[in-house]
Amino acid sequence: MPRSKDLDTVAPDDEIVVSTPPKEIPPKEIPKSPPKEPLKKKDPIMEEKIKILNKEDFNQKIYNILGHTKTPFSAFLVRPKVLTFAERDEDEEIYLAVRPHWINNLSWIIISTIMLFVPLFFHYFTFLNFFPPKYQFSAILFWYLITFIYAFEKFLSWYFNLFLVTNERVVDIDFNNLLNKHFAEADLSAIQDVSSSVRGILGTFFNYGDVLIQTAAEINQINFEKIPNPEKIIKLLKELRESEEEKNHGGHLNG
Amino acid sequence: MDNFLNLNNLEGYFFIIIKILFIASSFIYLVFALIVVKQVTSMSKNVTDKFNFVLIAFSFIHLGFSILLILTMFGL
Repeated sequence: MPRSKDLDTVAPDDEIVVSTPPKEIPPKEIPKSPPKEPLKKKDPIMEEKIKILNKEDFNQKIYNILGHTKTPFSAFLVRPKVLTFAERDEDEEIYLAVRPHWINNLSWIIISTIMLFVPLFFHYFTFLNFFPPKYQFSAILFWYLITFIYAFEKFLSWYFNLFLVTNERVVDIDFNNLLNKHFAEADLSAIQDVSSSVRGILGTFFNYGDVLIQTAAEINQINFEKIPNPEKIIKLLKELRESEEEKNHGGHLNG
Repeated sequence: MDNFLNLNNLEGYFFIIIKILFIASSFIYLVFALIVVKQVTSMSKNVTDKFNFVLIAFSFIHLGFSILLILTMFGL
């Protein structure tokens, strides 16, 4: 039997294929995602608590590095509460205030003490007896005033010669001979290199020396002379620089 | 003229010169004491600490003594 050309007719030897209607596939059930909750607002109280805890941790770190000293006349003041300076920002926190090591005051203390006793030896100089008592009294008063002002000026130069490390920068304040003020500062982020040197017998014995800070700022180096515990200051600066870098890095990521 | 060269008066002239020197130096010292007061108050404004008032007080006491010095010099 010739194969029907008509494709619509079916030949007997043709395999009858019954096409079944395509089954309707039930749509896959997409697991429903839970209804979106509105974005959780950050709890300001919690954030504040975390900030405080971080700050306390950091402060503890500083205390671990520097130790505790609270005497106002100390040469090494850790987180002084009262001490402040004119150029300080409102939210700036002083971590460390350092003056030259007290042993550097020894020379003027000895000289002043000797000067105090000099008038006691005046009567050994017979030519001074030539002057009437009024003149002698005036001369002695003058001498004691000069002695006082010598000691006072030296003390002031020491007391107001400060090296400060804050959470933002390092500051050097110097008053020389009562008439010259020198102020230098460098941001923590601008510090490039810190070095220290302890020299001489006294320096080694009392652990004081110079700290040299090289910066990328206009004033490219700040030198703190004869300050106690230079190694602790270097550690502190390292810690602060690292925390500053972390802060900047975090800021870039977030930004 | 003879009176001026008189050796008895020479001692008097010497003390007058000494007195002038003393008064001049005490005046210079008074100026210095004033500078100290000014400088200590200025330092205290720049660096504030617990004992600044003691330092200011010392500078004023020193100024007082330098005025006393001038008075004693005039009294010579």
